[in-house]
Amino acid sequence: MAEAILLIILGYAAVGAGFGVPFLLRGIDRIDPAARGSPWTFRLLILPGVIALWPVLARRWRRAPRPEGAP
Amino acid sequence: MSVGYVTVQWNRHKRVYDSLVGGGVALYLALFIIAGKTLYTGAHAISDEILAIRALGTCAYLMLHVVLCTGPLARLDRRFLPLLYNRRHLGVATFLVALAHATIAIGFYHGFGNVNPFISLLTSNVNLGSLSAFPFQLLGLAALLILFLMAATSHDFWLKNLGAPAWKRLHMVVYLAYALLVLHVALGILQTQRSPWLAGLVGAGVVIVAGLHVVAGLRERGHDRRGAQRTARVNGPWVDVGCVDDVPDRRGMTATVGGGERIALFRYDGCISATTNVCAHQGGPLGEGRIIDGCVTCPWHGWQYRPGDGQSPPPFTERIATHRVRVVGRRIQVDPTPLAPGTAVTPARIEEDHHG
Ligand code: HEM
Ligand code: FES
Repeated sequence: MAEAILLIILGYAAVGAGFGVPFLLRGIDRIDPAARGSPWTFRLLILPGVIALWPVLARRWRRAPRPEGAP
Repeated sequence: MSVGYVTVQWNRHKRVYDSLVGGGVALYLALFIIAGKTLYTGAHAISDEILAIRALGTCAYLMLHVVLCTGPLARLDRRFLPLLYNRRHLGVATFLVALAHATIAIGFYHGFGNVNPFISLLTSNVNLGSLSAFPFQLLGLAALLILFLMAATSHDFWLKNLGAPAWKRLHMVVYLAYALLVLHVALGILQTQRSPWLAGLVGAGVVIVAGLHVVAGLRERGHDRRGAQRTARVNGPWVDVGCVDDVPDRRGMTATVGGGERIALFRYDGCISATTNVCAHQGGPLGEGRIIDGCVTCPWHGWQYRPGDGQSPPPFTERIATHRVRVVGRRIQVDPTPLAPGTAVTPARIEEDHHG
């Protein structure tokens, strides 16, 4: 039981970390114009939150308008 | 404001404040450990780990009290406003100290066996039905998770991307964390059979936090009720909201008009302007702010708006609603219907008395 809880939490966090890297490199600029050109320290600072709340951000990224010039 | 994010919004005040917090935490921990070493010697000596666990735990618990009391204190007395501006940094610091407490506690009490310490924390005590043997550590774990979520989402990025209402709701959960911690500490003290005056301190903390919230809430209600009565003295659209002498120069005042809506009044350059009391950032009380560099400056995070038209000075683009205002004799009258955000309104000139 306890092992199952721990596995679920770790799995969730692992997906969050896997999502976090491309999100902080590209996705964040798409969902929030104010993040364009922001320093990497800022991106690192919000990484823990991205790992915890990745489903919210993933939904926003999917719905974000395509960048100009993309097909 | 929303022109590119910075990692941490540090300015000179915040640096001073953060150094004070860091120094204060270090001093508290040092004093706690020295006192513990000198007071308990010989057979009563406490191990270094337990002393560290207690020092860090009580430190984080105290810091949480300061965090929770700043809101009502700032509403009761403006001199506490600087604490409010810096509350986010204090919240993050509280989480870090609590994390250190929990890490050492888990390592110390659950780290020896070959069971994973986390599994051990979750399984070693399942006396959920008994108060005197309840696994109080689990309450601490739940509270720590909440503190983590709040610290992790404290950056403005989250405020904007979760939306202010959701962000606010998330951060109200701090009260749940506080309740869990009161139980964590109370049961922990009960189970480690510590002296009863510790329980007294925990109780005093609860009374102070709850009391301040009740007093500040009651005062706000009284203010609103007096405001609502004002609507009786309407003439045309104009509602009398007070005397120009009630508004200190370069400062604001809050007036409540019928329906409970709050309007912020500002006095500067011999004029009065009126805007909504609600900051576009996070709903901060603009009427408690000041005029800095000719702009209304929100007391919470310092967003600025020109009092004449409610627009943030370039390059910022935020806008707040303005209100029509006039001065008759020494009385200020406003039109309670808000104008569209960013609408320019001629400030009302104050006719100076020319005595003798
Ligand atoms: C996973 C999370 C946590 C665990 C496992 C944990 C564990 C413990 C343990 C084992 C004790 C008893 C120490 C002793 O006297 O032997 C304790 C006490 C305490 N904890 Fe925690 N804790 C956690 C989270 C927190 C948090 C988040 C706070 C506050 C912000 C906190 C504040 C305290 C306080 C004030 C005490 C009482 C210290 C004393 O007895 O002098 N704990 N905790
Ligand atoms: S509420 Fe954040 S600046 Fe006004």
